[in-house]
Amino acid sequence: MARVGVFVCFCGANIADYVDVPQVVEEAKRIREVKFAIDYKYMCSDPGQQQIRDAIAQHRLTSIVVAACSPRMHEKTFRKALSDAGMNPYLLEVANIREHSSWVHQKDKKAATEKASDLVRMAVAKSIANEQLHEISVPVTKRALVIGGGIAGIQAALDIADARIPVVLVEKSPSIGGKMAQLDETFPTLDCAQCILTPKMVDVASHPYIELIPYSEVLELQGFVGNYKVKIKKKASYVNFKTCTGCGACWQKCPVKVDNEYNMGIDKRKAIYTPFPQAVPNKPVIDAEHCTMLTKGKCGICAKVCEKGSIDYQMQDEIIEREIGAVVVATGYDMWDPKPYEEYGVGRFKDIITSLEFERMVSANGPTNGLPLRPSDGKVPKNVVFIKCVGSRDEAKGISYCSKICCMYTTKHTILLHHKVHDSHAYVFYMDIRAAGKGYEEFVEKAQVDTGTTYLRGRVSKIYKKGDKLMVRGEDAQIGQVVEVEADLVVLATAVSAPKDNPDLARLLGISYDKYGYLSEAHPKLRPVETAKAGIFLAGCTQAPKDIPETVSQASACAAKVCGLFAGDTMKKDPMISTVNTEYCSGCQNCVKVCPYGAIVTDEVPFGHGSKELRTVAKINEGVCQGCGSCVAICRSTAINLAGFTDPQIINEIVSI
Amino acid sequence: MDYTKQIQEIATRLFAEDKIDVFVGYRLTGFDDNQVPALIRESKDVPLLVFNQKSVFNLSNYLKNDHTRNKRVGLVVKGCDSRSLNLLLTESQVKREKLYVVGIACEGVVDDAGQKMQNCLECMVPAAVVYDELLGEANMERRFIINADIQDMAAKELVQRREYFEEVFENCIRCNACRHSCPLCYCAKCCIDQETATLYNGANTTSSAFHALMTWSLHLAGRCVDCRNCEKACPSHLPLHLFHKWNERVIYENFQEHLAGVHEGDRGAFYKYSMQDPDDFIM
Repeated sequence: MARVGVFVCFCGANIADYVDVPQVVEEAKRIREVKFAIDYKYMCSDPGQQQIRDAIAQHRLTSIVVAACSPRMHEKTFRKALSDAGMNPYLLEVANIREHSSWVHQKDKKAATEKASDLVRMAVAKSIANEQLHEISVPVTKRALVIGGGIAGIQAALDIADARIPVVLVEKSPSIGGKMAQLDETFPTLDCAQCILTPKMVDVASHPYIELIPYSEVLELQGFVGNYKVKIKKKASYVNFKTCTGCGACWQKCPVKVDNEYNMGIDKRKAIYTPFPQAVPNKPVIDAEHCTMLTKGKCGICAKVCEKGSIDYQMQDEIIEREIGAVVVATGYDMWDPKPYEEYGVGRFKDIITSLEFERMVSANGPTNGLPLRPSDGKVPKNVVFIKCVGSRDEAKGISYCSKICCMYTTKHTILLHHKVHDSHAYVFYMDIRAAGKGYEEFVEKAQVDTGTTYLRGRVSKIYKKGDKLMVRGEDAQIGQVVEVEADLVVLATAVSAPKDNPDLARLLGISYDKYGYLSEAHPKLRPVETAKAGIFLAGCTQAPKDIPETVSQASACAAKVCGLFAGDTMKKDPMISTVNTEYCSGCQNCVKVCPYGAIVTDEVPFGHGSKELRTVAKINEGVCQGCGSCVAICRSTAINLAGFTDPQIINEIVSI
Repeated sequence: MDYTKQIQEIATRLFAEDKIDVFVGYRLTGFDDNQVPALIRESKDVPLLVFNQKSVFNLSNYLKNDHTRNKRVGLVVKGCDSRSLNLLLTESQVKREKLYVVGIACEGVVDDAGQKMQNCLECMVPAAVVYDELLGEANMERRFIINADIQDMAAKELVQRREYFEEVFENCIRCNACRHSCPLCYCAKCCIDQETATLYNGANTTSSAFHALMTWSLHLAGRCVDCRNCEKACPSHLPLHLFHKWNERVIYENFQEHLAGVHEGDRGAFYKYSMQDPDDFIM
């Protein structure tokens, strides 16, 4: 006969305010199999756990029900308490009376209490059919995949590789470096982005533990934590990287000119190109969309001038497969397109540019040799208006969140402008100045004094043209008046947005993303770099907007997580996996089709006792099975059962209420 | 619609060329003009074979018994029968290379009273979709019809529907003839027969019949081809098609006009995932 112990938690006031906890205990005591029931303020605390451990011994309990918060939160904690008391940890059931009752029924304490009692009753009924289960050991592939070669991906790859764990770094563009490689100087110290980034890029290329696969993308991820298989598409570069020396003869002679993405389209690059002079790897690729040899079959100049014969117009995309154990996603961000701001004349007035365009202009290796110039007439601007929160904090036109970095980079831009054009004057329209960070507020204060920038608190309502100037009309909320500023150049501090490919990538990896397209972390406070899928981690802006210091720390945190995961030769795995009763299995293979992990294969068994005839049945690979239960639900003949969620357990639950 | 002669010729030829071990077709009962399935094993019995508007049964049901399993089989299928055959092929129950399929472009079959069967009037796929040889012309244009039974059912409140079914299933004797006659019920052990399935077990109560038939109909949702073998087999004359037609309509309307078994490799609406699947019921 089962002897169940029930432990009901107050969760401080979280549960107790909306659920009558002593009443739940009384109800539990009425269940025949419940031999012991008690409440406590914090069941997860050490004294709380001690109560469980003591009761197991005193009352010879055979299974335990803890009525508290979500099992995602503390199932592990309580399982450990059972283990410590010498009981099989899988004899625990958690009744979630917080998320499922007290939090969602705050207006009706009576009903919430009744529901909590029902949840406890179900958990007790289920626990009676619980069986002892034992953890499974699976081997680990000690190799990490890093997706994205910006500063986040670079830092994560270097930190993991420094721990002598092989890393595969996949970057979609021809060079690593990401957005940081486009920056001139970085706040709050104004050190040159190239000077601090390019050595790291070189380290990546030369690191013996890093395999850099540029100009490629991830196609497919299969398997599970510790044992993933990834398919990577290496896009055809039409240049043999093994023989190419990066001499540059090809791109000097190439006759095709294309907008240069690295310089935000301010100047032109060739159809065969390296994105920027410091690119890693410093080998050119051919832009198949624009190369006339590839589109029309005419030209072939690059092949003629290449002394090494590295140009191969016949090159095809290549699919590479790698076995890996963990993934770090660091796909960065996109700049938000300010097109919806029609009242600013975006797209109509040439002298309105985005902040990244400004950044490229003032950059030492930029298209204008470091001088900001008006796109309309190429003159050096004197009055420059910076408008912050373009897209950010604007639910009507843009996105509701704060992009976090714009206050700081705009401050940096005012300094850079002042450095480059001494007699210039900057105006900044702002909503708030958000300068939380080490040395940030001081940076803003100093910039305001040094550059003499005029800060106007308020939003811009309209920009119109007057002669060759732009008139910026906005509100100065501090004096409560409409102001108009005559500007030579307007710079929009456009918002940070999630990479548009993120939802596709998330589906491919099997992780979740939010309504903006940012990838979701497992817990906003306590698990900020993990995803809900074990072995997949997030670094940098792909999770939310952040600046370089934060991105780098998050990347290093990912590396620590990966190293921790790979610390042992095997990994413990929950025993909640499926098993097939081959006697019942009819071999329809629906389970094979629905299994998201590819954990089900087919097997052949004799048709009947002693029969030579064979029939096909399903077989579960227990290393691969993650216990999601899809196969259980799809199986019509209930030939598949999931340990810990067997049919008797579920039916007990249903029958109990 | 009478293909008796052609089918006899085909069967004779298949036996002569030693292409089949058994031919599954129809023969007369011997005491009236109704027909029963015939398993012909020798060419001398071929003259027994008939095919006309009285050939009502779905013969793909006969592919799972000991007489045909792992044998080379010749088989006659109408439109609906071929769809269930397609599902059996997709669900790995039958091997295509062991079959010789004689498809019929069916013009509809009749019931005992000589009236065209209701499912034939509503049929969307009259011609066989899987065949080695097709008899008749396949040129019929069809559109999806929601029949009067289903319209009546839709007009009822949920409670009334339940009351109606409870009344109907009082007559169920749990003989499971519906299941045995269904070509798509091939499970080694049906879920309603298992010891753990307490909802369906025990005495023959209306409740157990109700749950068993509900489960059965859901296991056929998106797979049922509306051949009505089950109704023909039911000794209590239960209106079993109501379940199936209801599901068929819901699936047709919600899953891109899905019809079971029309395409090879299609496991049915509930066994695949598409971005177009309805999800408005998710919060």
